[in-house]
Amino acid sequence: MRLRPQTVKQWRRFRSIRRGYWSLLIIGALLALTLVAELLVNSRAIVVRYDGSYYFPTYSAFMPGRQFGLDYDYETNYRELAAHFAEQREAAEASGTEAPGNWLILPPVPYNPFETDFRDDAFPPYPPSLSTQHYLGTDVAGRDILARLVYGFRLAMAFAVLLLLCNYVVGIAVGCAMGFWGGAFDLIFQRLIEIWSNVPFLYVIMIVASVIVPNFWTLIGIMVVFGWMAMTWYMRTSTYKEKAREYVDAARALGASSPRIVFRHILPNTISIIVTFIPFSVATGVTALTALDYLGFGLPPPTPSWGELLAQGTANLQSPWIVTSVVVAMTLVLLMVAYVGEAIREAFDPKQFTFYT
Amino acid sequence: MRKLALLAPLLLFGCGGSEAPPPETDTTTDDADAVTLEETRFVDLLPTYDSVPLPEGLEWVTNNEDEVFASPEAKRGGTFNTYMLGFPLTLRMVGPDSNGGFASYLRANNSVGLVAIHPNTLNFIPMLATHWAFADDGKTVYYRLRPEATWSDGLPITADDFMYTIDFMRSEHIVDPWYNNHYTNNIVAVRKHDDYTISVEGSTPKPREEILYEYGFGPTPRQFHKLDENWVVDYNWRAAPGPGPYRISHVEKGQYVTFERVDDWWGNDVKYLANRFNPDEVRITVIRDMNVAWEYFMRGELDTHPVVMPNFWHEKAVGEEFDNGYIQKIKFYTDTPQPSAGFWLNQNDPLLADHNIRLGLAHSMNIERLLTTLLRGDYERLKMHHEGYWDYTNPNIEPRPFDLDKADEYFAAAGFTTRGPDGIRVRDGQRLAFSVVYGTQEHTPRFVLLREEARKAGVELNLQLMDASAYFKQILEKQHQIASMAWSTSLTPRFWEHYHSDNAKVTQTNNITATNNPELDQLITEYEDATDKPTRVRLAHEIQQIIHDMSQFIPTWKVPYTREANWRWVRLPEWYGTRTTDVLFDFMSTANSTGLLWIDEDIKAETLAAREEGVAFDPVTITDETWRLE
Repeated sequence: MRLRPQTVKQWRRFRSIRRGYWSLLIIGALLALTLVAELLVNSRAIVVRYDGSYYFPTYSAFMPGRQFGLDYDYETNYRELAAHFAEQREAAEASGTEAPGNWLILPPVPYNPFETDFRDDAFPPYPPSLSTQHYLGTDVAGRDILARLVYGFRLAMAFAVLLLLCNYVVGIAVGCAMGFWGGAFDLIFQRLIEIWSNVPFLYVIMIVASVIVPNFWTLIGIMVVFGWMAMTWYMRTSTYKEKAREYVDAARALGASSPRIVFRHILPNTISIIVTFIPFSVATGVTALTALDYLGFGLPPPTPSWGELLAQGTANLQSPWIVTSVVVAMTLVLLMVAYVGEAIREAFDPKQFTFYT
Repeated sequence: MRKLALLAPLLLFGCGGSEAPPPETDTTTDDADAVTLEETRFVDLLPTYDSVPLPEGLEWVTNNEDEVFASPEAKRGGTFNTYMLGFPLTLRMVGPDSNGGFASYLRANNSVGLVAIHPNTLNFIPMLATHWAFADDGKTVYYRLRPEATWSDGLPITADDFMYTIDFMRSEHIVDPWYNNHYTNNIVAVRKHDDYTISVEGSTPKPREEILYEYGFGPTPRQFHKLDENWVVDYNWRAAPGPGPYRISHVEKGQYVTFERVDDWWGNDVKYLANRFNPDEVRITVIRDMNVAWEYFMRGELDTHPVVMPNFWHEKAVGEEFDNGYIQKIKFYTDTPQPSAGFWLNQNDPLLADHNIRLGLAHSMNIERLLTTLLRGDYERLKMHHEGYWDYTNPNIEPRPFDLDKADEYFAAAGFTTRGPDGIRVRDGQRLAFSVVYGTQEHTPRFVLLREEARKAGVELNLQLMDASAYFKQILEKQHQIASMAWSTSLTPRFWEHYHSDNAKVTQTNNITATNNPELDQLITEYEDATDKPTRVRLAHEIQQIIHDMSQFIPTWKVPYTREANWRWVRLPEWYGTRTTDVLFDFMSTANSTGLLWIDEDIKAETLAAREEGVAFDPVTITDETWRLE
């Protein structure tokens, strides 16, 4: 594939801004890792060797304890299973017989974000500890904070990206149409958007949340309904601008249809505006979900969520590891997203490539 | 609805330019959303009632022998600051949405009854009635009213106000089937013998103490109400005058409600009402989060805060303010009916209609683990609905333990034999999943734990945390599957409202499990009709056994004590509370609390000054076991 020279230039420019470039790499790596989070942060073992067979519980259907010689029908507790295998080996060593050769590999963080872990000698929240492998401690219900952070991050990013896609599809479509058609259509939509922007969307969410318990999709739905407007203004302006250019006239003279002009000619030339806004929209999406969860109007418990952790942390300041973990994680992610955004804006800055007379 | 209200003005604004029509003025009705404080509207139109002669030979009794339980050292005055988690949906005491948390204040203040139960001896003591007498038919009781009693607007409380209660409560305009029913089927007639003597006839003969308790009721302000089809809307935000010690003095919608003390209240010199309800003003602020409220409390902006929850008692109620004795802690054991906290299974739901599934669910709730881990052994397991009702509680009922084998057996019997790929049981593609609604964010960790444990039994519990008002609405309309809530208590078990099929078919009743069992109906009717206590006790035991067998209620925890924290200027008698105290620091007589606290302004000034200068007092943590049951 050959990239347009302009794109190559922009990419070089972006790479030369080290802060943004590295942030992008780190965020990309984190996102890639969260795609396989089940292998890294999970209560299910990665691989179990039992009675001569291999099992890979991570992505398979649940395996009852009985499958591995334990005496229950519910989901195997693999940490207990590990201890059980160790006992088997010790017993075999002590009696001089051959060990059954059972073993398993647990993920580095052997907890899922939902399970409650209790100790006999103390009550949660437990402080960070290497020996219990709660590297960031637990929350008030005894759930591993690192696990909740990781899965919460994945959910928040997925939420932000989906929200962004939906918002942009609607926003760009409406904005382009306003700019391209202009006239009464533009005027009516401008007024409609002005009115719609004034609906206090947080209230709407609160009202909806008091009637139904919102889930991932309803939340996205509500936020798109009240969030698509932002993009329209930029798209409208740039479409107006591009429409007046000679190449559009040329295309029209050649007999190109309106959709072709919009999709083939105008949109590609406004892409820099869209790309520039992406990181900031991601940050907005993450913050919005976190804020809603914090207020209790977001995803229902026990969904792992940063906002819920933040709420717990502020409610339990005497256990500072909760609030510290989530605040640090949130700050770092938002900071990196902002760096990426900054670098993209810099790289796409038209002043470097366009010469206006 | 509110959403529409928000949109409407914006749309109007949008088509500005065209000239708006002049607003239509409607002079016949007031703005339904405006708050109207106590007002006497219909003093010229007071309904009056004819009197009938009093029968001869009545034996009037009263009781002024029992010890008072309020402290003679109590001082009137000051402002008591407390909070509520949500703003009430109405100021009415009956009708739709009137059963929220705020209603307890309204009831406490407006339903000073004819007689009350002494909180320590459990004997009856005079309130609005000075004397009472029983007819031989076993279902009629006569009351002699206290002539000095007045409404908070100054009008005297007379027999007509009690007569009016019946008309009022039976009216279809109040849209409240519970009260309609109670005042039609339980209380058959009220008669006026003269302006200060009434008699109440119940539907069925009962033991005397039950008659007094159950057929006793409060007056209704005739001068205030106008019953018509608009009553529910029209009176939604009107504060009624009441017979109690407080009146609502200010309502700031969504923010706070203040009560002010009726200064020359008739109860000031009545033996069992004196020295109670001491603060001159009470401000109930809406703070929608308990943890935020705690921070207000630690700053001294709230005077007291409950610390029953283990994390509050052990972890939050510590620090400088406690070490320096500015804030005190008290743990006070009581001997009283226990609120029935637990999971209420709605049998209208097709899954929960299945007896085996209800039994399986009961065995899937690992409440033992919850109590010993998260709740630190501070709470105890509740055994049943109506526990702690002294003789009436069936001593043989034990709650179902967490038992995966039994759960498996019952779920298998219901056809849920296999587990899906996520470990949740399935039957013909239907998952064994339930939504659990609850209204207290602080309870989330508890339900998270139960949820994870229930997964072991192959049950999925989907937690639904709701805003308090919406939560009550959903439950009373029987829209829930499983509701976590706690019913408050009464003197004797109330089976009819919770379990009779009459209340299963209609919404806005307390039969939130939609229990419809003919055998149970029969026993409940017998229980309601029984006259002697031994029979009632026997029937109560039988009914409780059936309810336990049906397993529509999964009891969770009980707390046979109250734990509270208070700034040291909030004072209590030297005996702190009473045998049946629910909340020590309660300014009114809500539930079984008795409004014993007072604010000592001198100590307040002293404490605030000491805090400013960093001077410490002795830390105070009180544990009182006077009323502890072994």
